[in-house]
Amino acid sequence: MTHAVQTVILGLLIGGVYALLAAGLTLVFGVMNIVNVAQGALLVLAALLTFELWRRFGLDPIAAVVVTTPVMFALGWVIYRLFVARIRTAPVSMTVLLMFALAITIEGVMGLTWKNVFRSVTPSYGNQSFHLGPLFFPKAQVYGCVTAVVVLGALYLLLTRTWTGRAIRAASENLQGSELVGVNIRGVAALTFAIGVATTGAGGSVLSVLYAVFPASHYLWISRLLGIVVLGGMGSVPGALAGALILGVAEALTATYVSTRWAVVVFYVVILAVLLVRPQGLAGSKLREDVAG
Amino acid sequence: MARGRSKAVAALAALVVLVGAACSGNGDGGDAGGGQSSKPIVIGASLPLTGDFSQPGGAAKRGYEVWAELVNERGGVTGRQVKLTVLDDASSQDTVVSDYNRLITRDKVDLLLGTFSSLLNLPASAVAERNRMLYVEPAGGAPALFERKFKYLFFAQQATAPHQADVFVDWIKGLPADQRPKTAAYPTQDDPFTTPVIETMQKALEQAGVKTVYSTVYPPETSNFDTIANSIKARNPDLVAQGAVFEDGVGMVRSLIKVGFSPKTLFQTSAPSNSDEYSKGVGEANTEGVFYTVSWSAEADYPLNKEFVERYRKKFNKAPEEDAADAFAAAQVLQRAVEAAGGIDQDRMADWLHANQVDTILGPLRWDATGAPQSDFLLAQWQSGKSEIILPKDVATADSAVTPKPDWKG
Repeated sequence: MTHAVQTVILGLLIGGVYALLAAGLTLVFGVMNIVNVAQGALLVLAALLTFELWRRFGLDPIAAVVVTTPVMFALGWVIYRLFVARIRTAPVSMTVLLMFALAITIEGVMGLTWKNVFRSVTPSYGNQSFHLGPLFFPKAQVYGCVTAVVVLGALYLLLTRTWTGRAIRAASENLQGSELVGVNIRGVAALTFAIGVATTGAGGSVLSVLYAVFPASHYLWISRLLGIVVLGGMGSVPGALAGALILGVAEALTATYVSTRWAVVVFYVVILAVLLVRPQGLAGSKLREDVAG
Repeated sequence: MARGRSKAVAALAALVVLVGAACSGNGDGGDAGGGQSSKPIVIGASLPLTGDFSQPGGAAKRGYEVWAELVNERGGVTGRQVKLTVLDDASSQDTVVSDYNRLITRDKVDLLLGTFSSLLNLPASAVAERNRMLYVEPAGGAPALFERKFKYLFFAQQATAPHQADVFVDWIKGLPADQRPKTAAYPTQDDPFTTPVIETMQKALEQAGVKTVYSTVYPPETSNFDTIANSIKARNPDLVAQGAVFEDGVGMVRSLIKVGFSPKTLFQTSAPSNSDEYSKGVGEANTEGVFYTVSWSAEADYPLNKEFVERYRKKFNKAPEEDAADAFAAAQVLQRAVEAAGGIDQDRMADWLHANQVDTILGPLRWDATGAPQSDFLLAQWQSGKSEIILPKDVATADSAVTPKPDWKG
């Protein structure tokens, strides 16, 4: 029994981290209708930046969030201005191609800078756990989850309590309507994209402690994140949270009770199942074009 | 006028072709004469210098280069200097095939050396076999390579993948009954080099009476080992033997520490041999007592090993990797074959290697009819932050093994 409870706890803790990683992807899709397949590469980039800060200056990876977040925000802004803005009106498939090209470019640059070897940040608490009776809570996962809650909370407040957030949500619901009432659509789009990329700052920093990363591991991460976002409903931040927790637990249970071979397949099975049974995901609403289609 | 000139050009061209053919004919004749020529021996190889295997590929190239340098300083092979032609196969099976075809048919190299990894050696060795050229490879111990019963293929390490841990199994069997593990867990990565090691070990230990309480084959993408470590803890085995490539070995140790489970004996395949990266990854204090098998050690007192280590350090300003040493040993095997055959005769060299033993920096190597090596790996263990050789006894650097493994230091 303890074993089963422990397995669920490990799954939930990892799920919390997954939610952090997936938040930016779903936000950018919801507002801009862009599937940012470069999100995984940006995540790995942030993880490697964290690694560099830790190696050079001994900066704690969780504390590094305050450095990596603004850096990734700025990078997101530049990427939007340089590339994404130019094809805003092009079909979705074009933006996917663009983001994929970007992902491969980032992978190449990372390979040149950090070489194709596994890197991970190993602070002293990386191997430690909190204990509660017979149960244990790995410290790094707990800190990762706390970071996730803080970042997701901040994101939620930003979207619901500020004018900027209302403008972002308005733009996601009705582009022309929000422009009519005076929302600066181009500014909002750039801001949304940059915020979406900025979440990889915190995500990457947490990732660097929990997982060993190398440049090509972004393929693994983007497929996991797509699984989460598809399950939660493309564009829904609370949906992504639910999807991440469900998949975290499903992965842990599968690894323990079925087979470790099947654990990594869980994400892909979920993508297929959701698309067949409930294409809008858990929390996603049907779009007008879906109904028309 | 125009016609006359073109005739002259044609005649000239014909002359050039004829002279060229005559010259190359002479050259060939000289070579066939049995190493009397002063022309350098050209040795071709294709290595994964970029792509997935770029790290070991680069190390192998450096190993070949150090060998060539040392050999040339000592007067070459059968009196001829050696020259390396190394191409980059980008870790691709297609490219490695075209590379070896090119080396044989276009560059017309005298000798071949193998590439890195079972994945690449599998197709590359088939090219060599078709062209009846000796193919000594430094790293590719998957059983599939030897099931084809090639005549010209030789693997220049001590044992194929399934037998890499035999020396550890023997060590376990040699323990007094009360110290021998009763139960064991076998997590292994789904990898052609680790899975056979663990499968063979599991079978051998089960026959010796060690009960299997947990086994799993996890995919290479697995990057979080908390759930596996949690399952192992629930079974409480005396021995944990992991088929670990590298980062999964570090990940498993870190997860075992997190779940608070320290087995009495811990064995991992390749991961702990990456000395600096491994001890940094798991924390130096946590390396104490971890067992692994390895093809080469810088400390082993085999002929030329010291010279290899010193020259490598001087040339590349870092400690040699195991992959570099394996490449050096492969070149040593090739060199010995040329010397024994008294020149470059691919058949005579292959026959000689099938029947004889070669001393290398990995220790003495010998082969069966399929080119599979018939010796034992070194059994090594981390002790006080250093890796020490436990077996074989004649090159051991530690008097005894640390057992049981002490608790994690956190």
